[in-house]
Amino acid sequence: MTELTSHGRGTTTARPAESGREPAAPEPAPAPARRRGRRRDRATPYLLLAPALLVLGLVLGYPLIRLLAISMQDYGLRALFTGSAPWIGFANYAKVFTGGEFTAVLVRTLVFCAALVAGTLLIGMFVALLLGSLGRRMRAAVTLCLICAWAVPNIAATLVWQWLFQPGYGVINWLLTQLGIFGDLTQHEWFASSFSAFCVVWLLVVWQSVPFVALTLRAGLSQIPRSYYETAALAGAGAWTSFRVVTLQFLRPILLLVTILSVVWDFNVFNQIWILTQGGPDGGTTTLGIWSFTQAFSSQSYGQGAAIAVVSVAMLLVLTAYYVRRLVQAGEQW
Amino acid sequence: MHQRYLPHRLPLAAGLIALALTASACAGSSAPANKSASGSKTLTVWYMDGDLSTQDQAAIGAAFTKATGAKVNVQIQEWTNINTKLSTALAQNDPPDIVEIGNTDVPLFAATGALTDLTANESALTQGQSWLPGLSGPATVSGHLYAAPLFAGNRAVIYNKKLWAAAGITTLPTSYAELTADLDKIKTANPSPDFSAFYFPGEYWYGALQFVWAAGGQLATESGSTWSGALGSAAAQQGLATWKSFQNTYSAAASRDVDTKSPDQDALFAQGKAATILDTSINTVLKDEPSLKGEIGTFPFPGQTAGTTQPVFLGGSDLAIAAKSSNQPLALEYLKAATSVAVQKADIVGLDGWTPISTQLIEQTSDSLSQTSKAFAAAAVHSVATPATPGWATIESDASINQFFAAIATGSQSPAQAAQSFDSHLDQALNASQ
Amino acid sequence: MSARSRRRTGRKVALNGAAALFCVIWIFPVYWMVNTAFKPYGDILRPTPGFLPIPLSLGNFADALGKPLFGDYLRNSLIVTGAAVVASSLVALLAAVALTRFRFFGRRAFLISILAVQMIPQPALVIPLFLSLKSANLLNTLLGLSLTYVAFVLPFTIWTLRGFLHGVPVELEEAAMVDGAGRLTVMRRILLPLVAPGLIASSVFAFITAWNDYVFAYVEMKDQDHYTLPVWLVSFSTNTGTDYGGLIAASTLFAVPVIVFFLLIQRRLVEGMTSGAVKD
Repeated sequence: MTELTSHGRGTTTARPAESGREPAAPEPAPAPARRRGRRRDRATPYLLLAPALLVLGLVLGYPLIRLLAISMQDYGLRALFTGSAPWIGFANYAKVFTGGEFTAVLVRTLVFCAALVAGTLLIGMFVALLLGSLGRRMRAAVTLCLICAWAVPNIAATLVWQWLFQPGYGVINWLLTQLGIFGDLTQHEWFASSFSAFCVVWLLVVWQSVPFVALTLRAGLSQIPRSYYETAALAGAGAWTSFRVVTLQFLRPILLLVTILSVVWDFNVFNQIWILTQGGPDGGTTTLGIWSFTQAFSSQSYGQGAAIAVVSVAMLLVLTAYYVRRLVQAGEQW
Repeated sequence: MHQRYLPHRLPLAAGLIALALTASACAGSSAPANKSASGSKTLTVWYMDGDLSTQDQAAIGAAFTKATGAKVNVQIQEWTNINTKLSTALAQNDPPDIVEIGNTDVPLFAATGALTDLTANESALTQGQSWLPGLSGPATVSGHLYAAPLFAGNRAVIYNKKLWAAAGITTLPTSYAELTADLDKIKTANPSPDFSAFYFPGEYWYGALQFVWAAGGQLATESGSTWSGALGSAAAQQGLATWKSFQNTYSAAASRDVDTKSPDQDALFAQGKAATILDTSINTVLKDEPSLKGEIGTFPFPGQTAGTTQPVFLGGSDLAIAAKSSNQPLALEYLKAATSVAVQKADIVGLDGWTPISTQLIEQTSDSLSQTSKAFAAAAVHSVATPATPGWATIESDASINQFFAAIATGSQSPAQAAQSFDSHLDQALNASQ
Repeated sequence: MSARSRRRTGRKVALNGAAALFCVIWIFPVYWMVNTAFKPYGDILRPTPGFLPIPLSLGNFADALGKPLFGDYLRNSLIVTGAAVVASSLVALLAAVALTRFRFFGRRAFLISILAVQMIPQPALVIPLFLSLKSANLLNTLLGLSLTYVAFVLPFTIWTLRGFLHGVPVELEEAAMVDGAGRLTVMRRILLPLVAPGLIASSVFAFITAWNDYVFAYVEMKDQDHYTLPVWLVSFSTNTGTDYGGLIAASTLFAVPVIVFFLLIQRRLVEGMTSGAVKD
């Protein structure tokens, strides 16, 4: 039944222009729903959703079904040209799990994703706090640097990174050698070992992801009323305790959202790894995304690639299921 | 009260969306350009960036137009991810009529039904010539021909005359031993760690394979219809060991796990950071540093025995007709124009300096070649192709062969260890069905 | 007193120092990109890097812009990005209104599913999307490409705008209508300004996604003059060598519009992201 819901926090007409600036009150009481029984209303939400459903269906929905279908077919290049492919049930999936590569690839993906999320969130939080305690000019400078890093398109950034870390001509090697601590690093090859290759990719992804997290958390922090901190200080709480009790509590919804987004995006990092390492050395930086891609586009086993992609989506859903439910529930209060 | 105006927002919003999307639709119409206003047909031909020069492409087009009256619409494609591009393009219902495909990628498309079978027209295309096996072999699947050779390119040694002379070398090496002796002299004369007597990147598998073949080894052998990796054989191992020592001795330490493009080996040579490189032509070096004109010399990479040369990787491209193209007879005429003796001599060799597609043409044009181009043609005589199976495309695009050689060069794996894992990858990839 | 103020200045110096160090580190790659782009080609490959592009040279930019069909690539990128930004904002706004102002069957399922589709790795969609667009006859069209980007951007955009609309109380609109304001006026004067920061945030996201994408533009387009700028970026690396100067100059040119755009709207952008986020 279509209904109009009134939402807000009880007293809603009080501060219209500042509705975006109200502090997030802990648990607002839901206003009573008002019923409108007119038949016309039933169709309206669906009409409004129609364009979105149409586009999503064409570009994501139908291809997703196709993806699932392909994952259960022996779909290679010939199938692409002739349009028909034999059905092989779950054989592609079986190959994924029994091929011997799966565990290594999965572990690599999970560890790298965790490292990225941790790095982004920790540095982002640090920067958000830093921004709060700076004067106006320094704050503008820091924000400017963040914006520049965020705005650079990631293909351009990856190419620049390749240039920065080049053995022999890259400026990073030269700078590190000048420091004198590490010895002569001018010919050092960053992509020769999978660990250092991952470090370089980590730096690139974090460099571009921190701005979003930092600015989001910063805005969240700015909305916490000072009175809470003052109360905590009066009650004798130290810096760490007041951070834990006040800051983190208030930031919880934002942190939840930002963490989920980070996990989803970092799990699926692809361009940066592919351009910098192509999944090497010797498969050492092959994550689930790279693996799916090489199966599909290097070996032309689109069916195999599709199976890996489906598995990776399933993994991600499992990882984030709990948090996604909480997020949706939180939104449902209104 | 909401619902009173919400439905009215709908038309406005819908109108704006329609406007935005229509703008994009109008700007990018995809009307097929196969018939121009005058009624004469246009053939769409795809060429790869950097292979044939624009003059060369125009010359072939002119020969074709003269013979048929139809026009040519040339599109240039980039090498990055080209197999994906070709796969999707050839799967469309209005594909490009003719595509240039690298000779090592042809088996992939030939075996999967994307290209037109040319067997019936083979003699009209060869016109009595014996095509280089490295170009026609990959285009032949189960005795059927699916593409016609366009040009061949291979590698020879390019050296900086000044640097060589400064190290006291007066005659060109004719054997491997002489070459290494010369390089030792250059190395002594230029001791700086970022200078390479012979810059040879560790991932440069096109060049590294020469050592394997020179020692009598193979990438893979075919028995019946099964391929098996052969890099673990004694001959191949010896070749790999020779290569490893060559690479480690004469090429800068930073080059062990990079490819020829980052950093760019021609740029390094042009800057004087390398006295010698192995490459397919001197054109890029001259573009980077035009003042080097006249300062560059070439010679084929010498083999162990004096007077012989190392077998080179035969690169090059074939032209193929898309199976779904609606201009089959016209496309065939284009292929005939491109493979004709006249065009090969005047344009492929004459304009661009590439190696022509048959042994007869190589002999006939060798005198007309410039001093620096002679070495490439001489090297082509002794050339080897990669396994003519669709699975080879996998090896090239998943970069496993780059990693194989890089692991040996950096020492992270011994030649035997690296060969063991790479051979099993070859076994799996080369035999994979499509 | 003086001890405390000394501590305070000490703390201030430390914070400013940390901030300054942060700025240097964070801006370095962008600075290096611009520095390299303006160097003469021969100066780029030197073992001792030059930190200032002296002598200043525009040669790399000339190389980059001189590539054939650059004008077409630019035009296509602008059209596709513009269409994606406009269309996605509108479609998402309508959807967000439906999700926040109404309760209907399938609402929760829709919300969860659009969050779930964000998890699909984009490369996995290349072939299925190719097949889908082929059936719809939208291959090799800017329309098909624009729709692709709209769909990729919609989930995030719908979530953001939904968060925004939560913060706009229904009573506001009703009060205005009671006061005699017409429907469109209400939308224009009341709703749009309040939702504007959210629209800006989602527009930026659509802009980056459409401007940046290489794979889908590459696969969906057949004719050379239908490609977009990312394909141009890739073309500096050929089989015969990499034009590093041109490549970095092209990357700089490619990044500049985005950076400038961001800087212009950054205050509104931050407002937009956070107000929406807080509501969730």
